[in-house]
Amino acid sequence: MSGSDQLSAVFSALADPTRRAILAELADRDATVTELTAPFTISMPAVSRHLKALERAGLISRTRSGKLRMSRIEAAPLREAAEWIERYRRFWDTSLTRLDAHLAAVQAAGRPTDGSAIPDSESPGKAHDKEN
Amino acid sequence: MDSDKPQIVISRVVDAPRELVYRAFTEPDHLAAWWGPIGNSLPREEMDFDVRPGGHQRWTEVFPTQPGLRVAVHVDLTDVVDGELLDGVAHVTGQLPEGIEPHETRMRVEFYDEVDGRTRLEIRQWLPGRVVGPADQGWNEAFSKLDATLRNRLPVAVDVEV
Repeated sequence: MSGSDQLSAVFSALADPTRRAILAELADRDATVTELTAPFTISMPAVSRHLKALERAGLISRTRSGKLRMSRIEAAPLREAAEWIERYRRFWDTSLTRLDAHLAAVQAAGRPTDGSAIPDSESPGKAHDKEN
Repeated sequence: MDSDKPQIVISRVVDAPRELVYRAFTEPDHLAAWWGPIGNSLPREEMDFDVRPGGHQRWTEVFPTQPGLRVAVHVDLTDVVDGELLDGVAHVTGQLPEGIEPHETRMRVEFYDEVDGRTRLEIRQWLPGRVVGPADQGWNEAFSKLDATLRNRLPVAVDVEV
């Protein structure tokens, strides 16, 4: 899987609230499917299917410990997903701060600072916008 | 499509009339003045805007201090209402910063009049890949809870205390 396919799989897996709840449980401790079924109203096979989906997305790994099959959360893909969100949040934060400054400059000048391609007739305050 | 939850939701009031703010998103000279991190540059000759439903916005982002980077953004616009709405899928390719893969991301920006001639932006973004299925919980909530737990637990995943 390429990085972005992997990320799609992660977001897709995380889109389901039961799977997020399972991850939250696993964030506290490794657990068996039986232990994971207890807090939920769904059946063990259903929890099993969710675990498979989480495993496919790389969000958990499953290992045998004696007779028990334990599920363990894998932090890296989750962190990666969180980083994508954070990265775009920062992107918007910076851009919108720059937008504020740009709009202030444009309005102060009564026209765009670099002018040419933006006609004066469109300048703010011209009030041809029906709702203003 | 509406049942899919965006991962990023931003509501922001800017101090300018709606018509001007809309133009800041839809006219090349405006967008180049504020889009992206400080220090980037959007070469005018590589900007190609055709803002209408089914149209596009295309540009390249270059970074004078990082000549290795060259980010191509092609937005295919699906939904456009003049002065009110931009919705489309951005295809991000090119020479990207380390750790970032080429990806697609849907962005939706709604423009609303506020009092005193200001404008409220409602920005929604869906991160790479379509998020399928209903998600009845906020992403932020989900991630902040997980993050808080993970910070304490990992990488020591075998640590057990209940």
